[in-house]
Amino acid sequence: MITQTLALLLDTYREFNSKRLFWISLAISGLIVAGLAALGVTKTGVTVLVWEIDLPFMDVMDLTPERFYKLLFTRFGVGFWLSWLGAILALVSTAGMIPDFIASGAVELTLSKPVSRTRLFLTKYACGLLFVALQVSVFTVASFLVIGIRGGVWEPGLFLAVPLVVVFFSYLFAICVLLGLLTRSTIASLLLTLLCWLFFFCLNAADVIVIQGREMNLIRQEMTAARIERMEKSTAEVIRRGREEPGEPDAPPTAEEIDRANPRLPEARATLERARTQQPRWETASRVIVTVKTAFPKTSETIQLIDRWVIEAAKLEKLPGEEPDAGAFQFGSPMSPQEQRQLQSRIDDRLRGRTVWWVLGTSLGFEALVLGLACLVFVRRDF
Amino acid sequence: MTATEWAIDLADVDKVYRGRVHALRGINMRVARGEIFGLLGPNGAGKSTLVKILMTVVKPTRCRGSMLGQPVGHKPTLARVGYLPEHHRFPDYLTGRQVVEFYGGLCGVPRTDRRRRAAELVDLVGMHEWADARVKSYSKGMRQRVGIAQALVNDPDLVLLDEPTDGVDPVGRREIRQVLTHVKAQGKAVLLNSHLLSELEMVCDRVSILVQGSVASQGTIDELTRGKRRYEIELAPGDEPAAAVFRAALPDVFGADPDAAGVGTLPGGHTARLEGPALWVDLIDPRDVQWLIDAVRARGGVIRAVRQVRPSLEDLFMEAVTDPRTGKTLDVGAAKDAPGRRRRARP
Repeated sequence: MITQTLALLLDTYREFNSKRLFWISLAISGLIVAGLAALGVTKTGVTVLVWEIDLPFMDVMDLTPERFYKLLFTRFGVGFWLSWLGAILALVSTAGMIPDFIASGAVELTLSKPVSRTRLFLTKYACGLLFVALQVSVFTVASFLVIGIRGGVWEPGLFLAVPLVVVFFSYLFAICVLLGLLTRSTIASLLLTLLCWLFFFCLNAADVIVIQGREMNLIRQEMTAARIERMEKSTAEVIRRGREEPGEPDAPPTAEEIDRANPRLPEARATLERARTQQPRWETASRVIVTVKTAFPKTSETIQLIDRWVIEAAKLEKLPGEEPDAGAFQFGSPMSPQEQRQLQSRIDDRLRGRTVWWVLGTSLGFEALVLGLACLVFVRRDF
Repeated sequence: MTATEWAIDLADVDKVYRGRVHALRGINMRVARGEIFGLLGPNGAGKSTLVKILMTVVKPTRCRGSMLGQPVGHKPTLARVGYLPEHHRFPDYLTGRQVVEFYGGLCGVPRTDRRRRAAELVDLVGMHEWADARVKSYSKGMRQRVGIAQALVNDPDLVLLDEPTDGVDPVGRREIRQVLTHVKAQGKAVLLNSHLLSELEMVCDRVSILVQGSVASQGTIDELTRGKRRYEIELAPGDEPAAAVFRAALPDVFGADPDAAGVGTLPGGHTARLEGPALWVDLIDPRDVQWLIDAVRARGGVIRAVRQVRPSLEDLFMEAVTDPRTGKTLDVGAAKDAPGRRRRARP
């Protein structure tokens, strides 16, 4: 059994080795790490090789080399390269694996060997994931060395990126494998997988938008209620002062008196009422999206776990003034900066409040389902 | 012969694709250890499907029987079987030697053994000089040679080769025949699936002719041609036409009328037929021919040759694929109709 698995692994290595894209991805990873190493940070700005560029906000940020490199690794290295461009290149490289594997003339030879179809299929799938594991490992090790040498700190917590990026990629690869089996076409399976990924991305964006809307509505209710209370107090005080004629009874002003005295109060109450009426709709929309999202892999949230875990593991706190990257939309916001900060903080708390089991467990459940279906198709099909 | 002595012992193998294409209809077939068995038939007769069922590439609708003493579909048994599919496609990024080693690895052959075997086999199939070149640079014949090498890497007890000489030049075909004979000499069974009937005739101990998913005939060439052999008596050109000489020598067979049909019945019920300068008689025993020779010579006929003629494999094949009622060739391919219905002859 080990001999057969090793033969398949060696074959996969040779297959990747023969692909230009594998080496191109590795070269880009190397260039990115070299780029990280070429950058430096001083108290007044950043350095690029021997050139120094002064940045006015650097003294405020108090950015040490350690934090600078770790942030570059998580934000750019993982957040952009590994989870977007690198993942697309990995998909392009591996999308042909199953269509080539089941091509007429090739599959007969493999199936005729004393290896069960299930083991053959799952080993091939695992071999595909090795592509990403190898790429991410090389990138992470190189980043680890750069942060150690240039930043002066050796942080093993960075290696959490390896399993998380592989898990994130495995969702997409499982879909790609199933589509490859069904369509027998590299292009079709690749395009349909990218379409699925876009769907997951849109689902996540819709989730964030609904959370934002719900929290914004709640903040509006709280702030309007507080404003109404303040207005009532101040208006009541004004009414009381107006009654300071001797002999008049010192009874508290009635609501009608207050409303008559302050014409903005009814308007504020109407705003509060509208917000309260809208709240159940936001709650329903949120529940629907979370339910739908539960059934699908959470690609964005899995990558955000890297943020969550790597930042904690690597002892990285947020930059001063940096907003939580929950993806909240800022355009045309009528909220004050204070309200916006509060909103961002709440969205961040909401998203982080979702358990790791929910994010990874349900996503891996989906992956297991897709993989199981693909395995069933592969095992039952006549080639 | 006991069940364990048969390399392949199949009964009632049926395959219906998607519930409508009836590819195999109750195939019964036995291949003995130490023999080369030829599987022939027109395109779509079900030859490759049968081989694929044996190699677990295709699942049978129904199948009884065994391969190397184990039920068909028993995966571990495949470690003792070598296989070369038709139109095979090896990974382009591998060299010929790596192909042999890779498939050896999948068969569970330990690393040192498969390296040694690969070196021996690339020599055996004449690929020594090209063994370390990428497969993508190979000609079709070279790929076939490497394919045969990979089929033998696990030192199999049974080898199934689907069109092994496809695209191979005559020299290569001869070498492949020698390899097959070498394999047979080691006591291994070979199932050979080919369209090249002359190739099969040269190496096969027994053959099976598949037509529209059924076994039309099966046996050794001798068995299949028994009763179909005939003698040909050819006259040298003389003053009289050959037909006239034969008619005069055998008046009871052909009658005295020179315009009568050139077909008659010999005493004992055998058929005699006049064809050009020759007389054809459906006789097997040479003693039965002697009186005919005497009669022709007594009439003054000069005999140039007396030959015993056996139908070739191609003759047997054509007979199997011809509708006896219409004399036309049957449609190629599997039937897309209900089981048990024979397809119509090609117009």
